[in-house]
Amino acid sequence: MSWEDWLKGRRWRRELGNRVAPEVIRRSRSSSDRRLRKLFKGRRGLPFSPTDKL
Amino acid sequence: MADISADTDPTRKAAKLASLCSALFRERGIELVVVGDSAIELLTEGAYTSGDVDLCRLTPDPLPLRERQEIMGRLGAKGGPRSWQVAGGFVDLLGPLESLARTPLRKLQGAFDVIQLAQPEELLVERVLVSIYPQPHPPARDCAKKLAAVALGGAMELDWKEVRRLASRPEYGILTACKALVREVANELKTKSPLDPNR
Repeated sequence: MSWEDWLKGRRWRRELGNRVAPEVIRRSRSSSDRRLRKLFKGRRGLPFSPTDKL
Repeated sequence: MADISADTDPTRKAAKLASLCSALFRERGIELVVVGDSAIELLTEGAYTSGDVDLCRLTPDPLPLRERQEIMGRLGAKGGPRSWQVAGGFVDLLGPLESLARTPLRKLQGAFDVIQLAQPEELLVERVLVSIYPQPHPPARDCAKKLAAVALGGAMELDWKEVRRLASRPEYGILTACKALVREVANELKTKSPLDPNR
């Protein structure tokens, strides 16, 4: 798959997943918590882009 | 590197990091594969992954620690020898790829070079297993459902015969659970489950 096609397909993939599970399903904790929360100011990663921005 | 550092979209940033790491390791004859949560994120846009990119080596030969540090050092990475902080994220190099799948690795032409992704057939079966053993784990179940939905919806190619084969293997032994999950997703999407052809 090309980079452009992958970028274009992002919203479609997100929307399909949203039909069967909550929009954001990031785990609340893992063994990497300490380093992640330190780098991302208390979170486990950057916030996900909203579906309508993909 | 500036482009990756400045990117605030976690999925796109992970794809760029995986692409750049793949390019640098490939120059040394080492093929990398994006695995686990990171691969699922790139395949599904499932808002599942955290701020790290999980990579395995396709080549089984040992990779000397100094070589790893030299390669990652070219990106200005900090830390090691298996996990580095780079461009506002983490890259984890987990070791040789473990896979029972017979389907090909998926390939994504990334921003810098081709990214290889673990087979979604095995990712799905793995997530179904983790969702029920050793005890029910709802995040893994949601993740498996999203993988199945993206495949059933036509946004990702999946070899359902391979899913059936893997789920039936003794290493997984979860065909019944896998069929139930895919059926549930198919019902929600108002389509048929390829694992229940006679229904």
